[in-house]
Amino acid sequence: MTSYLLTRVRQSLITLVLVSMVVFAGIRALPGDPALALAGEERSPEALAAIRESYGLNDNIVVQYGRFIGHAITGDLGTSSRTGLPVSDAITAALPITLELATLSLLLAVVVGIGAGIVAAVRRGRPEEWLANALALLGLSVPTFWLGMVLVLGFAIAVPVFSASGYVPFGTDPLDNLRRMVLPAIVLGSGLAAVVMRQTRAAMLDSLSADYVRTARAKGLSRREIIGGHALRNSLVTVVTVLGLQLGHLISGAVVTEQIFVLPGFGKLTIDAVFTRDYATLQGVVLCTSAAYILINLLVDVAYSVIDPRIRLGGAR
Amino acid sequence: MRRKAVALTAVALVMSLTAGCGSLQSSATEVGGERMTDDRPVRDGGTLTVALNADPDKLDPTLAQTLVGRTVFAGMCEKLYDIDEHGAVIPQLATALPKTSKGGRTVTFGLRKGLRFSDGTRLDADAAVTSLLRHRDLAGSARATELAPLAGAKATGPYTVELTLKQAYVPLTAVLADRSGMVMSPVALKKYGKNFTNHPSCVGPFKYVERVGGDRIVLAKDSNYYAADQVHLDKVIYKPIPDGNVRLANLRSGDIQVGDQMTPVDVRSALTEPGLQLFNSPSLGYQGIGFNVGNVKGLGEKPGRVDTPLAREPRVREAFELAIDRDLINKVVFQGMYEPACGPVSPESAIAPGVKASQCPQRDVATAKKLLREAGVKTPVSIELKVSTTPESSRLGQVVQAMAKEAGFAVTLRPTEYATMLEETDSGHYDAFTSGWSGRLDPDGNIASFLQTRGAMNAYGLSDPAIDRLVERGRAEADPDERAKIYDELTRHAQKRRGLIYLYRQKNYIVTGKDVAGVRVYGDGLVRVTAAGYAR
Repeated sequence: MTSYLLTRVRQSLITLVLVSMVVFAGIRALPGDPALALAGEERSPEALAAIRESYGLNDNIVVQYGRFIGHAITGDLGTSSRTGLPVSDAITAALPITLELATLSLLLAVVVGIGAGIVAAVRRGRPEEWLANALALLGLSVPTFWLGMVLVLGFAIAVPVFSASGYVPFGTDPLDNLRRMVLPAIVLGSGLAAVVMRQTRAAMLDSLSADYVRTARAKGLSRREIIGGHALRNSLVTVVTVLGLQLGHLISGAVVTEQIFVLPGFGKLTIDAVFTRDYATLQGVVLCTSAAYILINLLVDVAYSVIDPRIRLGGAR
Repeated sequence: MRRKAVALTAVALVMSLTAGCGSLQSSATEVGGERMTDDRPVRDGGTLTVALNADPDKLDPTLAQTLVGRTVFAGMCEKLYDIDEHGAVIPQLATALPKTSKGGRTVTFGLRKGLRFSDGTRLDADAAVTSLLRHRDLAGSARATELAPLAGAKATGPYTVELTLKQAYVPLTAVLADRSGMVMSPVALKKYGKNFTNHPSCVGPFKYVERVGGDRIVLAKDSNYYAADQVHLDKVIYKPIPDGNVRLANLRSGDIQVGDQMTPVDVRSALTEPGLQLFNSPSLGYQGIGFNVGNVKGLGEKPGRVDTPLAREPRVREAFELAIDRDLINKVVFQGMYEPACGPVSPESAIAPGVKASQCPQRDVATAKKLLREAGVKTPVSIELKVSTTPESSRLGQVVQAMAKEAGFAVTLRPTEYATMLEETDSGHYDAFTSGWSGRLDPDGNIASFLQTRGAMNAYGLSDPAIDRLVERGRAEADPDERAKIYDELTRHAQKRRGLIYLYRQKNYIVTGKDVAGVRVYGDGLVRVTAAGYAR
């Protein structure tokens, strides 16, 4: 287990370095001169030359990458060319927001998705299954932006239970934090909940028709023990895999959700950086997101063994 | 083809009648025509949250480049001069309008006494000189071009500044009514250097508290401000909310109190909301379609020959202009809420009023077709038009495409994101693009950089000795009447060359909660919050 973990961590670090190279080159391959984007309306040749000089844009790409990675190792991700604020500060401020949003959405997806999936499988052919399937279809088909605006109109304007925008840290005011995060979490989590529901239902149906469930029934175990202890436990392996894969989508989905609810998280930071060709911020954000993806994959691998002891890590026989 | 065009025009007319021809008056907003402020008495205290349509760039007056940044500065950095509701220049930190020597090479102005920066230090002539020279000389300064004629600046008394110019430069006063006229605390400049952007300190009703990138800029009432007793709010928070729908939803929910730069579609929606009110002022800028008539080597390089019918043949450009109906564009695309335009200077300019919308060329498809025949070009004339990725820009492109088609043009639309558009148009890789400018107080700021040969923003590759001469004369002419004549002549030259076909002028639409009073919205489009507060 330990050696496997060390190998996986080493692999992850190599992946991260490779990703940083691809990200660095990819960002520079974007059309649009960052100096022009930064200068905007005031683009005299002198101002453009000074901007290029100031941000080292005249240097060779290898020199620029070396400088970036050298500073990144020490935790310095540079300064935003647009705002002049340190990128690490922007990331530190944005990260908890996106993480909270992703966590709440995940929680919602797990609770609603797994719950509805179990109900749909156990009550197969009944109205409950039909309702769960219809909700899943809705969750998958409704555009995020539309759902967001409808929820804002309904629950922030017509019946002002929640807030339409902004972020207040949980530590500052837990209630206000939840007032602002519930709607975004519903918007972001609804699609994932639908995916989880379908996956849980399919896996549960498989499990419920498996031999070991028949054996459990023959042994006289209660319905609750059969569903919770046997069928669900085995079904969760597939669900966790899906959740791990979908977590990436949660982070990318946050881009739209954060725009709707004006949450200053990673998504908003990324979009702003793309449109202003703010290389330093974009590199920092994409690098951190990549690191998060790699970490999530690692955690999913570890989670397999915890849920299902039959799976042995590191190729153990 | 003709039937199609007629049908399209009919559809457009019906749309305009249903969507755009209504007055701005409504029981919900109590507005009509221009409305720049609400003078109801306000109570002390409270926080005002202003939603901006983009995240401002650096909060350093020397380096700042965005319009939204100017709005934030309006809350914390006063200038030597300002404008009033009529677009006239008035003194702000200066005591009176500057005195100019005969020949226009020496400019003198006095400063108000007893002013303090937000860091508590005094504002004097030395501080003004330090700021002016920094604006001119700092590497990367966005003010360097407009202050290039400044040869020197010195304090001739504790509160008197004398500027020497390389040549007569009449637009200087208007320049000093923008960021070049902002005076920064020399102590803060020395202490923070280039990091002044994270610790800005000026003279203003509010002082900088904090900035969370992409989220908010917080200002608090400054007790050092000379008229602090007339400032009512405790705090002003600026929040970037780029999407107009989201800005409007937040206005409705009360999460924000002021929505800056609302689009006509959003304004229409806001009109039905009882809790909201609308302010609007004419804009000093313009929007149009720019043609590549000589940009072969990139911005700032010598114009050359572009081998397209549009660039080769002025009659083709004239035909394109005659194919377009400015009024219909305004009605269909902008709900009738902007102003048709055909020149670089706003008719509202107090310095040199430009052409009125009623004087713009009318659509004349028959003449357009005739011109194309006379030019001997093969029709349809193919043009790729770059439009920005906003819904409004797409609609504008579609309407222009349909109108031009009727006259014999095949316009292909290419939606292009902002940074890419700048790169491609500046380098000359385009036929035509939607070109716009937020506008400056002095007509020179709307003309020189765009129309002068090798001008800093002449992406069209225009080169006309007559325009170049008139720009120089306009800068040196002190007599207002003579100046107005020069810019009138310049406008006619620009219209004739058609490197840029001016189409419309945006209006500044600001929506606020009905409980907010004292916000001021003038022609420069900035939201002024000095006197703002919650109505008693």
